[in-house]
Amino acid sequence: MSATRSPKVSERVAPKVSDPAPQKKKKRDDDDGPSFGELFNAWIEAHRSSLLDSLRRLGKQPIGSFFTCLVMAIALSLPMGLSLLLSNVERLGGSWQRAAQISLYLQLDASPSEGEGLVRQIKEMGGVAEAEYISRDEALNEFQKQSGLGEALKELPENPLPGVVLVTPLEVDKAALEALRTRLAELPKVQQAQLDLVWVERLAAILKLGDRFVFGLTVLLVAALLLVIGNTIRLHIENRRTEIEVIKLVGGTDSYVRRPFLYMGALYGLGAGVLSWGVLAFGLDWLNEAVVRLAGLYGSNFALAGVPVSDGLSLLLGAVLLGYIGAWIAVARHLRELAPR
Amino acid sequence: MIRFEQVGKRYPNGHVGLHELSFRVRRGEFLFVTGHSGAGKSTLLRLLLAMERPTTGKLLLAGQDLGQISTAQIPFLRRQIGVVFQNHQLLFDRTVFNNVALPLQILGLSKTEVVKRVDSALERVALSDKAELYPGDLSTGQQQRVGIARAIVHRPALLLADEPTGNLDPRLAAEIMGVFEDINRLGTSVLIASHDLALIARMRHRMLTLQRGRLIGDGEAGV
Repeated sequence: MSATRSPKVSERVAPKVSDPAPQKKKKRDDDDGPSFGELFNAWIEAHRSSLLDSLRRLGKQPIGSFFTCLVMAIALSLPMGLSLLLSNVERLGGSWQRAAQISLYLQLDASPSEGEGLVRQIKEMGGVAEAEYISRDEALNEFQKQSGLGEALKELPENPLPGVVLVTPLEVDKAALEALRTRLAELPKVQQAQLDLVWVERLAAILKLGDRFVFGLTVLLVAALLLVIGNTIRLHIENRRTEIEVIKLVGGTDSYVRRPFLYMGALYGLGAGVLSWGVLAFGLDWLNEAVVRLAGLYGSNFALAGVPVSDGLSLLLGAVLLGYIGAWIAVARHLRELAPR
Repeated sequence: MIRFEQVGKRYPNGHVGLHELSFRVRRGEFLFVTGHSGAGKSTLLRLLLAMERPTTGKLLLAGQDLGQISTAQIPFLRRQIGVVFQNHQLLFDRTVFNNVALPLQILGLSKTEVVKRVDSALERVALSDKAELYPGDLSTGQQQRVGIARAIVHRPALLLADEPTGNLDPRLAAEIMGVFEDINRLGTSVLIASHDLALIARMRHRMLTLQRGRLIGDGEAGV
């Protein structure tokens, strides 16, 4: 199936009779058949020819090839883009540990030094990532600022708020968090240990829904991609029907016939992967401007992360594989029809 | 080399292509298969190329039963055969060199070996100076010779030709037949399907005559 150009005349000159090495090689070729090395080189050459032939054919129709890649790229970008946005939403929601913080309300008679001692004790406990003490005065100041009841609170005879220790767990597992909360509640000077899992559960449910949506969309778009690549390869097969029939008549195996189409599918996939990476990088960058402005209004310095290199490489590999599989399915379907007439 | 034993071919639509055909072809033999259009010449060639399977009887080619051959084995069988078509079946987007090199590339031979064998095959059909041209740049006779070079480049044991002189004038037809005789002298069995009785008679080789799928004559042409 390769369209290797014939070597130049200078390359096609037969070895000189006086050259002993080629003579020896020629004798071995005639008597013992090709060596393993020669067969391996021929195999490599056959693959190289198929790859170059496929590239040449794609290059002959640059606009058609580009649009096929673009359609595939858009189909790839949708689930990948949604997945990247979900990752960013996870970051936006803060760390899971922060969302699952345990608040320890201390007894009113607990002094600041007892609170600091409690923090040291908690930090040494297993399953704790961080612990922070907020004294009664600090709690009151913060409440005055946030509630807008500053003047009213000043009228109170004494500070009604207890000291608080905020404990950030190492992992977010409902059972482990519950066990940690129970241990913390038993510590001295702790009046109440409160764990608010509702927010964690809601966020997890939303993200799970998002993941499912992305998965469903991915399945649908992968099927669409296989159809696009299959149809494209089918057209290539139709255009080369005579060539395929001749190849089969002179002893070409199915794998020989299939090879250039598989390379073509993989090349379409590679092109689509590169385009998709570009579309996603550009799209996220474009969105990021608006996101940064919005986040700034809430006093946050949050910004969208771009396409991580590992994700980009996975995208490329996946696209190449999809192109290859799509081409394989298309050729397998049509190979039987390609029997010489 | 070839053994037909009561070989019959009936198509699904009921048409009978061949009726209990029996004959043998020795290694290195040169023979013609002749008959009117629809006599069964092409069916016979298609059976030998394993493009179709016999419905009755036994067809052996180099010891292989073509009625039982698996689909996966067919390409390897065809590598022992060279085929020349009336319409040449050349690939017009490839040079003469690359057209002739095709069977060798399929065999996976090294570049050096491919160059050596293609040069030799083109020399045999007197087209060494046309290697870099495309088939579209050649005359019909030259295109047919490219087809012959492609059919012999991998040194097949059997050469099949289907009306190879059908589109050629008498002078070119005789020239092409001369090429086939040269190839036969090197030990390749040659089987040519043709209805050009005048040309066949001049060559004095064995001739099988088919009529409506039946073998009605087997003897030396022109006798």
